[in-house]
Amino acid sequence: MKTRIKSALSLSLATSLLLAAQPALSQTGGAVGTGTPAAGNATLSGYLLDATTGTPLVGASVFVRALRTGVNTDEKGFYSLPLPLGQHVVTYQVLGYASRNEQINLTSNLTRSPRLAAQNLQTQEVLVTGSRAEDHVKKTEMSVNQLDMKTVKLMPALLGEVDVVRSIQLLPGVATVGEGATGFNVRGGGIDQNLVLMDEMPVYNVSHLFGLFSAFNPDAVQDMKLYKGGIPAQYGGRLSSLLDVRLRDGHQAEQVKVNGGIGLISSRLAVEAPLIKDRTSVVVAGRRSYGDLLLKLVPEQRDNQAYFYDLSLKVNHRISARDQLQLTGYRGRDAFNFANVFKNNWGNMGGTARWRHEFSPRLLGNFSGVVAQYDYELGVPSGTQAFNWSSKIRNYTGKADFTYLLNDRNTLSAGASGTRYQFEPATVKPLSAESIFGGLKVDEQQAGEYAAYLENEQTISPRLQAQYGLRVSVFDFLSSGTPILEYAGTLGQHLEPVNPRTYRNGEVVKRYANLEPRASVRYTLTETSSLKASYNRTAQYIHLVSNTTAASPLDVWTPSTNNIRPERADQVALGYFRNLGGEAYEASVEVFGKTMDNQIDYVNGANVLLNKNMEGELLYGRGRAYGAEFFVKKNQGPLTGWVSYTLSRSERQINGINADRWYPNKYDKTHNLSVVGLYTLSPRLSVSSNFSYSTGVTTTFPNARFVYEGLVVPVVSGDARNNYRIPAYHRLDLGATLKNRPNPNRRWQGEWVFSIYNVYARRNAYGIYFRQNEDDARKTEAVRLSVFGSALPSVSYNFNF
Amino acid sequence: MLVCFRLSFVFFLLTAALSSCTDVIPIDLPTAESELAVEGTVTDQPGPYTVLLTRTSGYFNDQPSPAVRGAQVIITDNEGAADTLRETEPGRYQTHRLRGKIGNTYLLTVRTEGEEYRAATEIKRVPPIDRLEQQHKVKEAGWKDGYYVLYNGPELPGVGDYYRFKLYQNDTLRNKPDELIVRDDALYDGKYISNVELTDRPFRVGDKVRVEALSLPQDYYYFLNEMFTQINNVGLFSSPPSNVRTNVLNRNASGPKAVGYFAGTAVQSATITIQP
Repeated sequence: MKTRIKSALSLSLATSLLLAAQPALSQTGGAVGTGTPAAGNATLSGYLLDATTGTPLVGASVFVRALRTGVNTDEKGFYSLPLPLGQHVVTYQVLGYASRNEQINLTSNLTRSPRLAAQNLQTQEVLVTGSRAEDHVKKTEMSVNQLDMKTVKLMPALLGEVDVVRSIQLLPGVATVGEGATGFNVRGGGIDQNLVLMDEMPVYNVSHLFGLFSAFNPDAVQDMKLYKGGIPAQYGGRLSSLLDVRLRDGHQAEQVKVNGGIGLISSRLAVEAPLIKDRTSVVVAGRRSYGDLLLKLVPEQRDNQAYFYDLSLKVNHRISARDQLQLTGYRGRDAFNFANVFKNNWGNMGGTARWRHEFSPRLLGNFSGVVAQYDYELGVPSGTQAFNWSSKIRNYTGKADFTYLLNDRNTLSAGASGTRYQFEPATVKPLSAESIFGGLKVDEQQAGEYAAYLENEQTISPRLQAQYGLRVSVFDFLSSGTPILEYAGTLGQHLEPVNPRTYRNGEVVKRYANLEPRASVRYTLTETSSLKASYNRTAQYIHLVSNTTAASPLDVWTPSTNNIRPERADQVALGYFRNLGGEAYEASVEVFGKTMDNQIDYVNGANVLLNKNMEGELLYGRGRAYGAEFFVKKNQGPLTGWVSYTLSRSERQINGINADRWYPNKYDKTHNLSVVGLYTLSPRLSVSSNFSYSTGVTTTFPNARFVYEGLVVPVVSGDARNNYRIPAYHRLDLGATLKNRPNPNRRWQGEWVFSIYNVYARRNAYGIYFRQNEDDARKTEAVRLSVFGSALPSVSYNFNF
Repeated sequence: MLVCFRLSFVFFLLTAALSSCTDVIPIDLPTAESELAVEGTVTDQPGPYTVLLTRTSGYFNDQPSPAVRGAQVIITDNEGAADTLRETEPGRYQTHRLRGKIGNTYLLTVRTEGEEYRAATEIKRVPPIDRLEQQHKVKEAGWKDGYYVLYNGPELPGVGDYYRFKLYQNDTLRNKPDELIVRDDALYDGKYISNVELTDRPFRVGDKVRVEALSLPQDYYYFLNEMFTQINNVGLFSSPPSNVRTNVLNRNASGPKAVGYFAGTAVQSATITIQP
């Protein structure tokens, strides 16, 4: 097995060296090939697919050795290679597959979609990279981390729940405000500054159970890519990052495949099936937690419910060789019902329809329609206090994206998108005639966001490659027919509404526009090392209003309005990228600096829920973040994994807080270290471990008190904010995966997954709080809250057939 | 009226379920410069009314707050009445003849240690409590077994009324940090409040329960609401510790600041004795 991997690797390495050298050669004398040179060029294009499953092979090489020219397949397995007319030998090659040579006679544009056979199952499973290691050095993109679901599934998981968001928190530049807090913070940005896309559908709340588990079903996800900088011009609308989560494609499977798992928290089932052979496939994946089913066994708890579920559906249909249609649907929900006393549920839902059309071998188009929604409901179902409180954000988006291969040195991307937002911040309705509740409605809002972009990826010289573009974004805050208010008062305190004005429904109240330049360059130092730099400006027009340490599911998104201005960020990053030991190791060092405008914070004692004048509780200011990220990843061999270390600072300055001086963000962590190791002991057994260490997050401590009507009230001198830190956070997790004995006559494959979270049972502080002693009202005390106070073992069973 | 309670109930339940834990830990805090702390009220009930003057102390200081003695304390109203308060105990100042009235405004002036502080307030309207009833809950989901007192009374039409509810059990105010009940009427404007529990902690047979409904000026409502947040600020969804507002202002803006509140309230009350 080992030799096979090695030979595959050396082959691939040889290819990459060959290809890297190509432009240099062509400059100094042109290509010399076995092919018969003829006047003119034509394009060879097509898809590269797995022979048995039909999975597109991403990042595969397609090259003509004699001409020393080649390309990689894109995320759909598509390639397009301009070649001189004549006869060529084309090599198709990707790690883990038998490579294939094809003789072609190119007289005009030609389509070839060969299928490659997987070499060996074991080989595939050892490979954890989604893209080839050489991309790390060769690609223009930087500040990007890609995680394959295979890797994530091998990592130790909290209570056995494989978690996309938790695995992202182990990457450089990514932090969280605390264990069990929803979302993630990228390079000093807030959790609402991440554009999280699931097959192009924005996900407004990435969590189940308040943040303990992520909203993504691991069986439905193919892979994910996190852009912390150098964000392509195609994407916008959020300040700090893009998390692109791709769902499994359905493989254009030749037979029905079932994946599933039974865990402590939830069970999962995913079915992939061909609907029409070689044309249409479908993947349905579902997951549900069942804590409440256990509750039913306890008589007093019988009427209580607490669960989450998510369901995704993806249909892939090949209309023709040049047209492909993809439909994705998602619904996730959390629900808490306490008998007839209280009900609360929330979740994301939405869907995407995508049509991909190949206009010509050089011009590709992608057309998408997206709808996404986050909403929640809570209330008391019956009795004199019966009410229902609901809130919702929904968007409809249409977009078109084009890629045009201008020539072998320039690839142009261009596109446009339009989004319509609807916001329903809060509606409270009494549910019975005798209810003590009247109604309350915080006015609905609507907005439009439009963008267009043009970007070019250019090979300037053999060593220098650049990607540069411009995104233009426009945001219209539209009237919903209700009065538009301004706010006045003393800075740092609740402001009162003034000067109400009425606009026609749909009329533009306020328009904002931003130019967002994006640029990245890569300069090759040696075959195995490069320097990269990037600059990008991003603008954000919708904001999550959240005044609590961890965002809660009840937090509400708001558009930019006549009062709330768009957030804007400028980021510069510089990096050194290097492969070591052949391609066994990828290493990188990046430094970044970022400034942010119109950052939102809150007046003391702000009340942002159910508040018609919520905008009167907001304060605005500046943010800045800077740091260095060190990353080493081992891709090959029985031991794989990575070490990530981030040294950073993230601060803000808001007039009205901390006496107008800079203060660290609540998620600022000076040091942040993650070590992830995955070790394959035998074809059946692999073990894994995570270790995380980070500086404690910031917090505010009072330093004085007074007594008011018998209650002790804390005083923070000088209105300080985040003047202390909680103790450092560290944690070790262990995991093991044991596969059933292989049996070629049986389709059923099973594996046991064991994990221990927080192995040495550290009581990591989530926060430190101050309170009056329960028994002696005069005494005050500091209290440490830990989300997990013990080691949490778990076992789950996964199967597929 | 229980909306807030129930919400926190869910969140707490969740954290409890996940083996979360809290423990008391030692923390060293620097001492801060001490400030004047004011606690004073004028009500629509007969006086005397009391103003307590103390100084803030270190956060972990469990001794009584140091009294501010020998201050000159005056309350005036918009009808021209002025009452200079008498120090009856160290730091405790009482009115002589001032009588609070709904609709009037009041100004407190405190002169101490060379500084002059002022605080203005008013007394707002309050609805009557029609009656209290008792309810015995046994094995009701989400409730502890025991006797609950149900509130019945109107809420006055027109948004902008703010209330505090005080519960006295055998003449002792229930005064745990989470028993500071303040509400605005945005959700209940003009509705009849019928059979609503004011607390999720039950009473016992024989308890004499008095409920007071206090009207609050808007700013005082904000003060108490912020105070509630700050003294119950534990958990995943806590908000950043910050100072609660005050209406006590030093006339010299650059002089030492004060904390606390001088408030006007109107009071309605009703009493019930829990029967078996």
